[in-house]
Amino acid sequence: MDRARIGRAALPLCLVGLAGLLALAGLLAGDVVAAASRAEASARDEADDPYAARRAAMVEKQIARGGGLFGRTAVRDAAVLDAMRRVPRHRFVSERQAGAAYDDRPLPIGYGQTISQPYIVAIMTELLQAGPEDRVLEIGTGSGYQAAVLAEIVDAVYTIEIVPELAEQARRRLAELGYDNVAVKEGDGYYGWKEQGPFDAIIVTAAASHIPPPLLEQLKPGGRMVIPVGPPFQVQRLMVVAKDEEGKVTQRSVMSVRFVPFTRAGEARSPADD
Amino acid sequence: MMMMMRMRTARVEVAVALASAVALALQVALVRVLTIAQWHHFAYLVISVAMLGFGVSGTALALLRRRLAGRERAWAFASAWGLTLSSPLCYGLSQQVPFETYQLTTQPVQLAWLLLLFVILSIPFFCASNVIALAFLAHPARIGRLYGVNMAGSGAGAVAAVLMMEAFPAHWLPYLLGAPACAAALLLAPRRLDRPLVVAAVVLALGPVLWPGITPPRMSEYKDLAYALQAPDAEVVAERHGPLAKLTAVDSEQIRLTPGQIVGYPWEELGPIPRQIGLYFDGGGASPIGRFDGDLSAYRYLDYTTGALAYRLTDARRTLIIGAGGGVDVLGALAQGAEAVTAVDVNGDVFDLVRTDPTLRAHSGGVFDLPGVRTETADGRAYLRSTRERYDLIQVSLLDSFAASAAGVYALNESYLYTVEAIREMLDRLEPGGAIAFTRWLKTPPRDMLKLFATLVAACEQEGIADPGRRLAFIRSWNTGTLVLTESPLNEEQVDAARAFCEARGLDLCYLPGLDRDEANRYTLLDSPVYFDFAGEILSGDREAAYADALFALRPATDDRPYFFNFVKWRALPELTRMLGGDLLSFVEWGFVTLLATLAVSVVAGVVCILLPMATLARRPRARRAKIPVVIYFTALGLGFLFFEVAYIQRLLLFLGHPIYAISVVLAGMLLFAGVGAWQSSRLLGRPTRALLAIAVGLTVIAAGYEALPWLFRTGAGWPGPVRVGLSLAALAPPAFLLGMPFPIGLSVTARRDPALLPWAWGINGCASVAAAPAATVLAMGAGFRGLMIAALACYFAAVYVLTFVNRR
Repeated sequence: MDRARIGRAALPLCLVGLAGLLALAGLLAGDVVAAASRAEASARDEADDPYAARRAAMVEKQIARGGGLFGRTAVRDAAVLDAMRRVPRHRFVSERQAGAAYDDRPLPIGYGQTISQPYIVAIMTELLQAGPEDRVLEIGTGSGYQAAVLAEIVDAVYTIEIVPELAEQARRRLAELGYDNVAVKEGDGYYGWKEQGPFDAIIVTAAASHIPPPLLEQLKPGGRMVIPVGPPFQVQRLMVVAKDEEGKVTQRSVMSVRFVPFTRAGEARSPADD
Repeated sequence: MMMMMRMRTARVEVAVALASAVALALQVALVRVLTIAQWHHFAYLVISVAMLGFGVSGTALALLRRRLAGRERAWAFASAWGLTLSSPLCYGLSQQVPFETYQLTTQPVQLAWLLLLFVILSIPFFCASNVIALAFLAHPARIGRLYGVNMAGSGAGAVAAVLMMEAFPAHWLPYLLGAPACAAALLLAPRRLDRPLVVAAVVLALGPVLWPGITPPRMSEYKDLAYALQAPDAEVVAERHGPLAKLTAVDSEQIRLTPGQIVGYPWEELGPIPRQIGLYFDGGGASPIGRFDGDLSAYRYLDYTTGALAYRLTDARRTLIIGAGGGVDVLGALAQGAEAVTAVDVNGDVFDLVRTDPTLRAHSGGVFDLPGVRTETADGRAYLRSTRERYDLIQVSLLDSFAASAAGVYALNESYLYTVEAIREMLDRLEPGGAIAFTRWLKTPPRDMLKLFATLVAACEQEGIADPGRRLAFIRSWNTGTLVLTESPLNEEQVDAARAFCEARGLDLCYLPGLDRDEANRYTLLDSPVYFDFAGEILSGDREAAYADALFALRPATDDRPYFFNFVKWRALPELTRMLGGDLLSFVEWGFVTLLATLAVSVVAGVVCILLPMATLARRPRARRAKIPVVIYFTALGLGFLFFEVAYIQRLLLFLGHPIYAISVVLAGMLLFAGVGAWQSSRLLGRPTRALLAIAVGLTVIAAGYEALPWLFRTGAGWPGPVRVGLSLAALAPPAFLLGMPFPIGLSVTARRDPALLPWAWGINGCASVAAAPAATVLAMGAGFRGLMIAALACYFAAVYVLTFVNRR
């Protein structure tokens, strides 16, 4: 008697659960199919660069297309998309991680730092609206990937990294890849790079409780700064700070970016492929 | 011979008391440890679920009852041993599980780790519960006494846990608690003990300490402290363990914590902000300790934050700072010319650490001992009630960290600082011309500051202030907002000063008497001036419509429903989802999610625990008919007891002030009196239904008297601490005494009906007690503490009704 009653209650519950699972599976399958077709399309680039196809897929799937589970805004700036297609992201991570370089997530680069998710690099670059004549200051070099993407677009990039080892690594890496319009400095980004300023654009890669006043000072009238605000490991708001010709500063919260957790254990992980 | 018998029987009671004490102390300690390792809401979830070990134990005993028959004592002995070993070992093992709260939404495997944690950590509670339930089974005639010592033991465990955490780091407790658990095992040993057995027992109990040794909590790499320590120059300069939080002081040039943005700060002229040491609470949000060498001018940078608006609206000679933390606000107040500063913080360890640690003392220039500065360890609201002093400025600082605030982890916490009644009491403590200032982190979409604005207006109206709109100023930076309420209407000069203050600093006005809409959105640009618009709706528009249209719960919090931090509005959820799309996950109020998850898991587990033994019980004719009444009875008691306790103790929280000690004493008192009630309950077994009815009626009378408590406590707010604790205990004794009785009465009646039902009833009660905690919070959010009290009484009357069915012969 009791058991029968329970059985009757359990059936609809199970059906609801099953329907939910099916819906989820459907969503995932859709993504996989779409990715496969795009990967095929760019397979012709594979000859000269083993990662070209993946890079193309990364741009198509993660960056140029909006929506998705977390409601992304698509990146539309052609210069940014081109830069993202050109810079060999796999060269900015350890060889062991190269296989994961084009995944939709940040990767650890040692010293407790990460290389940002490709999408974050693209959207921050787009928000900066920097042109071919511009001099750009970057705070937080990390792997040097963001600097390389900027170097594809602007005249000169000045970048500051606080961890000496990372600064040295990035300097070497960028030189090897031929980015001779990037200057790397080791130091505390809070105070900016007064000798090279003022800058047309400033990009800050780590969240802050306030805009470092020295940076604001080194921003040219008419210049823009992109800076995340919020707690380090959660949802951060990307703020675009603009200084008008009279020196008045305004800021606008453009979008929220969700922090994607990374596994530090990944540093010791075996290569995914190659 | 008689003497011998008494001795031996008393042993069981002592063992039950010890096991109960260990279980409760372990629960308190594990919440602490898991909060350090991960986050508070996670700790709440895991430990609540682990407590289901009590329910599982009842089910297991119900299923295995026939095999245990006659050997209850031996199994109780084994269970006590299990408790001795599992307390340290399961804790140690839990720290090996690579669970990470942050990856829960991205890595499905984390669900498996979470499940594993539930299982591992429930083992000690399972063992403790076995000891108690087996004692009931072995001595059904002594259920009242046994339940009494179970309650009293739990009470003692609550106090012991706090005292132990004062002396040792929280993660030592699972090891230290092995000792009383071992004592319980020895008391339950089936035959006379010889010395080698005692020695072996003690060695075994010590085992986990010797090998693998005391495991420190594995701190998540996503905590603010972990992030701060990544700076190349970061160094931990001081540490302090305490029952409220683990404090960690980190020195690094990269720590630059300002309460908001300082855009207009002329740093070349005034110099960089003074170097800070970050004081991390449980590895979470940091409060800065600023370097101070006697030159207050270094703290002029604070005049560029939103909070400094207050100094334009009042002449702050006497300032009260609620939530003083590392003391930077104290320096800010002094730099603004304050002559007397009272710094209040709920965690006295902060004051003590900054005062006594040589590094911190030197760095801070003894900030808390500067002339004119006084510290008070108290909950902010309780301090307001107890003091007779008046202030020019009452400043409520950014008490919670940005991270915690953004994630909404406080949603399930009561806060008596942000209620209408609290604001009224603040107004009462102001000097003529004084002001109250609140600074909070802004959230997107806006909610906190909107609710606070509505709260201030509501408080003014209740105070009979006709023109609240003339006394309010509200501004914002890119991440903080400050709301100032003044004792008298603002004059033209003050309004102009506020305008000039914002203009010079690039801060936005949200509300000011006579403000134009186009002035309200100039620097940090919003899609529309939502703060200005909402303020207008509240002051002169259709207020009810504004509340109804909002996507969040923005109605002011009151002392009866002190959930300022709960913004979830069920009806608006579909619209919020539509508006935010997939971004919704970013705005989840995690505290609330945790609450619902805890409720869901405990209800599901409870149903399983109740159903499993059904089949075996169905074969017993006397048990069969009593099943449904037993389920209802013990569920009702599990819920009713906790609802009553929560509603009652909430009233006392405000009165007690110094939370951790007073609360643990009061909680212990409650359990102790309940224990006395339980012990006495066997006298009532002759006419159980009538006795229970009398108890329910008694509780109703007390609940009616409950309405008088706030009045009594306001009168006595200034009385000395021990008097207040004594008074609280006196207020608690009668209801607690009554609350302790129904459970053993029901259990005895059930045992008379059929002993096979007994462990099952115990398990049902265990599950219901776990579900009761989140259910109480959900109920109180919706219906207030008054509603919770009514629900508690309803539970007891339902219990009276069903007991008649169990009691049929």
